[in-house]
Amino acid sequence: MPLMTSEPAARSGKLKRFLGHLIWVLVAIVAAFCLAAIALNRGEHINSAWLVLAAVCTYLVGFRFYARFIARRVMALDNQRATPAERLENGHDFEPTNKWILFGHHFAAIAGPGPLVGPVLAAQFGYLPGTLWIIIGAVVGGAVQDFVILFASMRRDGKSLGQMAREEIGKLGGFVALLTVLLIMIILLAVVALVVVNALAGSPWGTFTIAATMPIALFMGWYLRYWRPGKVLECSAIGFVLVLSAIFAGQWVAQSPAWAPVFTLSPLALAFAITLYGFLASALPVWLLLAPRDYLSTFVKLGVIFLLAAGIVFVRPELELPAFTRFTDGNGPIFAGKIFPFCFITIACGAISGFHSLISSGTTPKMITKEWHAWPVGYGAMLLESFVAVMAMIAACVMHPGVYFAVNSPAGIVGGTPAAAVATISSWGFPVSAAEMQQLAHNVGEQTLFYRTGGAPSLALGMAHIFAHSGGGQAVIGFWYHFAIMFEALFILTVIDAGTRVGRFMLQDVLGHVHPALGRTSWMPGVLMTSSAVVLAWGYFLYQGVRDPLGGINSLWPLFGIANQLLAAIALCVATTILIKMHRARYIWITGLPLLWLVTVTFTAAWQKIFSPVPRIGFLAQARQLQAALESGAVTGAKIAETQALIFNARLDAVVCGVFMILVAIILIDSLRIWAGIFAGSRTSQVVEAPFVLSRLTTEEA
Amino acid sequence: MTRLRVFGSLMLALLRELSDENAYQRYLAAKQREHSAEEWRKFSEARLREKYFRPKCC
Repeated sequence: MPLMTSEPAARSGKLKRFLGHLIWVLVAIVAAFCLAAIALNRGEHINSAWLVLAAVCTYLVGFRFYARFIARRVMALDNQRATPAERLENGHDFEPTNKWILFGHHFAAIAGPGPLVGPVLAAQFGYLPGTLWIIIGAVVGGAVQDFVILFASMRRDGKSLGQMAREEIGKLGGFVALLTVLLIMIILLAVVALVVVNALAGSPWGTFTIAATMPIALFMGWYLRYWRPGKVLECSAIGFVLVLSAIFAGQWVAQSPAWAPVFTLSPLALAFAITLYGFLASALPVWLLLAPRDYLSTFVKLGVIFLLAAGIVFVRPELELPAFTRFTDGNGPIFAGKIFPFCFITIACGAISGFHSLISSGTTPKMITKEWHAWPVGYGAMLLESFVAVMAMIAACVMHPGVYFAVNSPAGIVGGTPAAAVATISSWGFPVSAAEMQQLAHNVGEQTLFYRTGGAPSLALGMAHIFAHSGGGQAVIGFWYHFAIMFEALFILTVIDAGTRVGRFMLQDVLGHVHPALGRTSWMPGVLMTSSAVVLAWGYFLYQGVRDPLGGINSLWPLFGIANQLLAAIALCVATTILIKMHRARYIWITGLPLLWLVTVTFTAAWQKIFSPVPRIGFLAQARQLQAALESGAVTGAKIAETQALIFNARLDAVVCGVFMILVAIILIDSLRIWAGIFAGSRTSQVVEAPFVLSRLTTEEA
Repeated sequence: MTRLRVFGSLMLALLRELSDENAYQRYLAAKQREHSAEEWRKFSEARLREKYFRPKCC
């Protein structure tokens, strides 16, 4: 009898397995078909649904097979092993957390402005190079990095990347990691501040909305601390309603003859205002300004990402930009340089971002309930981040190419008047007229949309286009444009204020070794001094970007991309060292190949940025060209001092780029020395994991 | 309907986690204290000090 009942059960089990395999084969075929379709399509507009399907199916295959293989074979995740959240639970930072809540928490922490801005800038090559890099780079590089670092930190009681670098590679590695993070942050803060400046310059509507978020944040701070302590969700909901009201009020301000001039600021004035804001946010009590903005920004960020995804699925817009543009030759107006290596450093966060390794070795490993939760949290959250980058690429590509280039090109490249700009852009084969640009600016409530470099305005235009087509049409496009600008600026200003504060702490940490009082975070003279130093450092690069006739993005964004990818190289060095020490040397290609790719890309890009003979690419060539102009007498009067400053800036950028290369080369050589020692048998390969403790939590509890 | 309810409660839990409201409840439970303005301020200061000691992602 038992044989009689088990046979149908076995047959049903086999059928289920077969169907399961069949579904995955279908998903893989759809992924391959869609990737081939977007890669081979030429000359015709392609629907954004192809990109969405290609991305989602590739992510599913990568998550189900590649990430699972890494989890089972390489890292040997074990749910029987108690995680730090269980062993060290303290009701504070170590806390077993539901995996989907932790997924959302981790995603909110890794999602910054990078995956939104990078793809918009890289769209100058066409939609194809950036899209392929975002999808493939995330599956085999970025998500692997986040996953392995999360695993390593989880097995080491939630240690940070710096601590792991110190323990696994050496003291030098730890120090270099700290220094690299500090330097990257300075460049990052300058470049994202420049994005905000370029989005708000000459825009009274946008400037008023963002200015209004300051008193709103102060109100929220008081509300949370004194009126309704602990009611963060309630307070954020009120803050959101006030911000929406500010967007509506902004339209009235922009149309008011009395108020519009007050909020129409030049790029330089905005740069000073943002620098002052960074200083205040760093020096003022954190509950007053920084924290309420951060809460609000997190909710707005998640809500807008969800809205954008829904809008793209609902509207399924056609991509107007071609697969490749003529700027694959390296002469792009937004930034100079060929697809290799510049596409791969321009899009960092959407494909692979070193900064994620700091989050994966921060709060998240302390909250994981079961080791297998690292699979969706570490790998899965990065895939979602990559999808955000694909959406940003779609938003950029739904614009007419002529409009895209008119918005994103600096005056120094396309000409200082609308007539000159449209003539230059049309001569590239992307027809656009001044009247068309004027009408578009009028529709979104702006005076002009020319020379709005930095990516934020064109992303806002693309988002507004998608939202308006979801309902409301042209009547609401102005609101959606300014809603998108508010979202981007709010998001970026949160990175600036939190980043300045963290930079201050890092500097205080270092200076505390020189003079102990400087290390005390409560000693006001020390706070003011270190806050000023950090703000002046990124403020200088911001000022440099604002004064740059080529728009600033051309020099600063590649510098940031190189720095971020070099941090990823450091994380992958640590990850590879750990795999070797775990006796998983036969799997080192998993982290080794992305590492090799990143080192090749970033060192090539850094080398070209320093030594390329083309002035728009090479910093030193740019300095030489300006120097020659100065010596020949072509530059006169007031322009002499400005040119001297530009020469100094170009040389400074070259030095910063060189320093990044040297720092990462040090870690790379140090790692290679350790790997060679282990392979040669002259060095022991001891893993420094926390000891095994049997988990008491059942899977149901987890 | 049950799935929708589970999804809704997960979303609410996520919002409460992101807003630190869950962390505050855990703090009160661990310290065996009652909610008060002073207690929230104490928790919030420690939480924010720690939060803004780490770099924010780009």
